[in-house]
Amino acid sequence: MTKFAEPMARLIDELKKLPGIGSKSAQRLAFHILRSSDEDADLLAGAIHEVKASLHLCSICNNITDVDPCVYCSNESRNQRLICVVEEPTNINSVEKTRSYNGVYHVLHGAISPLHGVGPEHLRISALTKRVENGDVDELILATNPTVEGEATAHYLTKLLKRTGVKVTRIATGIPAGSDIEYADEVTMSKAIEGRREL
Amino acid sequence: MPLKQSEAIVLRSYPMREADLLVTFFTRAEGKIRGIARSAKKSKKRFGGALEPLTFVRVYWEEREGKDFDLTRIDSCDVLESPLTDTVDYHRAVALGYVAEMLDQLLPDREANDAIFRLSHAVLQHMRAGAIWMAVTYFDLWIVRLTGLLPELHACIECGAPLDGNKAYYHALADGLMCAEHKRLASSEMTMESRLIAAEMFRSPVEAFAGTQWPRQRGVDLRKFLTQRIERQLEKKLVTATMLEKLD
Repeated sequence: MTKFAEPMARLIDELKKLPGIGSKSAQRLAFHILRSSDEDADLLAGAIHEVKASLHLCSICNNITDVDPCVYCSNESRNQRLICVVEEPTNINSVEKTRSYNGVYHVLHGAISPLHGVGPEHLRISALTKRVENGDVDELILATNPTVEGEATAHYLTKLLKRTGVKVTRIATGIPAGSDIEYADEVTMSKAIEGRREL
Repeated sequence: MPLKQSEAIVLRSYPMREADLLVTFFTRAEGKIRGIARSAKKSKKRFGGALEPLTFVRVYWEEREGKDFDLTRIDSCDVLESPLTDTVDYHRAVALGYVAEMLDQLLPDREANDAIFRLSHAVLQHMRAGAIWMAVTYFDLWIVRLTGLLPELHACIECGAPLDGNKAYYHALADGLMCAEHKRLASSEMTMESRLIAAEMFRSPVEAFAGTQWPRQRGVDLRKFLTQRIERQLEKKLVTATMLEKLD
């Protein structure tokens, strides 16, 4: 087995902890860092340090942000009474890419997952309930994933928040735009037919 | 190597590498197998919703040679029945997870068990949103019996005295029911009604109980006793059993 100098071995071990990085990739990255200029290496180290030091959760929506409230919650041109509920902060980017949504967000940081021991109490639901109960919300769009976990989460939130009188909607599921019906799987197709609309 | 195929129930999946999923299936033909579904995380084209837990599928796989020979390569899956076609509320999600965890923990690898497969398939069809307790009770009872963990329910394990018509007690550390005289400290009573439910469930298919009102309290002692049997065998707590207990 190849023996590396201690600092190199330490860097490889740390890189191996990253998702999708195995031993070989970690070695490649470590050697790339070694070969790069001191300035580049410092920039990388600084960026990693800064991301941990300066980022935190938005006190309103739980999005990851460096300012509080986050850019969405503090933007007065956005509809603050329309909330899109997502599982992870990364989901916000997918909704933003549509350029057709002008509301704000609420990040749950997960979904109900009994197999992993994750129940509603482990999600960031209380802040959302508070926003709704304060009467600050006209509509909640539940944009959790169309999986068993995401559906269970959406159903739980609907049951919890519908009694407050707020309008609760669920994102549609169906055939992706530009795809071919021939290749649609059975579950997606049945959901698409179930959610059909009159033209 | 030719592709193998079988009806199967998806038990669970774990992310693996950048875009793959490691999936555990309970196949009818070969029992529990694990396989890698390439790019299943990134692209939904090939597998769609087929790898969701408790989906009843026809799975096609290829055995692999080399160091990971126990891991198969999942080629494709046809969905036969999906849990997503019915409403998935929190109760149903926990119950589905419970079945998946139980099968994953109890079944040995690569050992076909048609009776347990038929039981799981039948029970899943009756696990509906807002109505899970009958199916959970039926599953608990039969899985314990089919795995050989069910003790005699009609006699005291300590003295052999018949329990029919008499009070019966159970305890987490006892291997069966006990009479009033031999019950342990902190034992719980199993009602006569629950023992009659068990007897009836052993006589009838799950369909026979469909449509009957089944509140959470009905058979709660029987379910607790059966879960204790399984957890004693596994020597650990089932994550989903604890969540199931907390449901209202």
